[in-house]
Amino acid sequence: MELMEYSAAARLISSYGIRSVESRYVKNADDAINFAGKQGIVLKAISKKALHKSKAGLIKLGLRTPDDISAAFADLSKRAKKFAPYKILAQKMAESGVEIIVGGREDPQFGKLVLVGLGGIYVEAFRDFALRVCPISRFDAKQMIQQLKSRDVVTFHGKKEKMIEDLLMNASKLLSENKMSELDLNPVIVRNDGYDVVDIRILR
Amino acid sequence: MLKPESVAIIGASNTPGKVGYIILKNYLEEEYRGRIYPININDETIQGLRAYKSIRDVGERVDLAVIAIPAMAVPAVLEECGKAKVRSVVVISGGFSEVGNTALQNKLVSIAKKYKMPTLGPNCLGVMDPRSRIDTMFLPENKLSKPKIGGVSFVSQSGAVGSTVLDLIAKEGIGLSKFISYGNAADVDEVDIMEYLLKDEETKVIIVYIEGAKRGKEFLEVGKKVAKKKPVVIIKGGTTAAGAVAAHSHTASLAGSNEAYDAVFRQCGFSIAKDLDDLLYFGKAFATEPEPKGNRVMVITNGGGTGVLTTDAVNNAGLKMAAMSAQSQKELRKAMPMTVNIRNPLDLVGDADEKRYRDALSAISNDKDIDMLIVIALFQTPGADENLAAALVDFKRNSKKPMIVISAGSQYTEERKIMMEDEGLPVYDSPAAAANSLAELLKYSKFRKGIV
Repeated sequence: MELMEYSAAARLISSYGIRSVESRYVKNADDAINFAGKQGIVLKAISKKALHKSKAGLIKLGLRTPDDISAAFADLSKRAKKFAPYKILAQKMAESGVEIIVGGREDPQFGKLVLVGLGGIYVEAFRDFALRVCPISRFDAKQMIQQLKSRDVVTFHGKKEKMIEDLLMNASKLLSENKMSELDLNPVIVRNDGYDVVDIRILR
Repeated sequence: MLKPESVAIIGASNTPGKVGYIILKNYLEEEYRGRIYPININDETIQGLRAYKSIRDVGERVDLAVIAIPAMAVPAVLEECGKAKVRSVVVISGGFSEVGNTALQNKLVSIAKKYKMPTLGPNCLGVMDPRSRIDTMFLPENKLSKPKIGGVSFVSQSGAVGSTVLDLIAKEGIGLSKFISYGNAADVDEVDIMEYLLKDEETKVIIVYIEGAKRGKEFLEVGKKVAKKKPVVIIKGGTTAAGAVAAHSHTASLAGSNEAYDAVFRQCGFSIAKDLDDLLYFGKAFATEPEPKGNRVMVITNGGGTGVLTTDAVNNAGLKMAAMSAQSQKELRKAMPMTVNIRNPLDLVGDADEKRYRDALSAISNDKDIDMLIVIALFQTPGADENLAAALVDFKRNSKKPMIVISAGSQYTEERKIMMEDEGLPVYDSPAAAANSLAELLKYSKFRKGIV
């Protein structure tokens, strides 16, 4: 099983109308500072040898000043050495909102499955999710959202329901049309004015 | 297989207690109207019928052959069935893939395919159809109550769950269309059975015990088609076993194999039973009750506490307690004694008799703000007797709304319960069973209409 390279994964999901936060590989701290501009950024060390970035301490969040960025870049480079070869990805900080997970996997019995659930750190704690076999209809997408205990939180009391339905249908299409064994878009940050996919993992 | 005009019983026996003895005896006792050909290499006559050494000696068309002989001998006999142009086969015998003997099972499959001869089993109870009086089961008559004729078909991968639930179907007064126990699903599998039941006009409701579907994608396809036409209640055995999914992602760690089955059942529009009680309760409600128009429930009781518990059960099931129309309230006030509070739950109090129930039901009968009815009839009270049971049956006959009765108790209650169920009015022991069953009716009705 192989982890798809991040920028290729971002391009792939974007071709299915799924937006992820603006991101770019950076070669050094200055590069990262330039990319950040006035916004905060996140730095992530990306390596095929480290499937769980946060567990390996390979994510630096909430970097706002040039000093913060330089220090984080240096520390990350040190930590990532044992996972070489690696690259460092800079991402614009997403505005805060409700974190959800959208994912999928290939099931030996039924084929591709698509999932939606309460995301981020709540995934394992609450296990509040809904699952369907791809391809899904709009009715399926609506039912999936209704199945969540956290539906009112996730949809902002229904206001973002249509947006999440569209996201699920796009994810179902992405899963159906591409060879992949597992997909995690986690977290996807849902806000009143839209959503941002913050992390992408596609395993082939 | 289910409407055969002639049946051969291979392994039929004269020795009481043997599987081949009981199967033949059941056919004789149930007065099966078709021709019966016992096959046995040793005896000239079996239970008074002429016996044949081989299926090929019969010389007439055989619609169904039931095979109940040791596993090792099955392939040779199946081959003979093929040559004799037998039209369908049920292999009762165990000793195939369920004990690791996959090679023997594969042999069976290839023979069945070679002769294009639908073969059910092996390792199963086979089929039962009370209309055609077909019953391939090897369970003694006196130990298993046979359900009355009706519209519910029951499909079970497991023979043990099959026979237990079948007995309970009889106890709950549910009418049976077909019982199909398919065991190892070597040739005929879940998908074939669902396709058959989809087209079978005698089948109005399907209840299923499944441990796994061999052809996942086809199962989803046929499942969707079936649930659009008739309700399916399903339970999957083995849901706590760890799903064998290698998880590298959050998604895979959440969504194992059992979750995938759950997803498929939801996507089909099936009713998911969490235990065998649900399987029976939901099946029972679907068998007799019309589609509800909405989620508002009226509760009428002769016991205050049971009314309160039922109110809780209604709310817990995601349904609403109905707010009666002003007209209903006015009529009730006129008809009820002052000891009765006009509200929902409507407590007719402990001295309620047949007449008070009739008056109360008639007062609310045309209320458009009520979608479903739960009537609690506690037969331990002095006024409740068989006349009350008859009153509820009468009301039900003219009502287009789903209506369920709750009556819990021992022998006296049980007898009145049977009176009501024989007339097609479902009776439940507990408020939760009643409310959850109504909630399933509503869920299915919304699914059919495409409402989330």
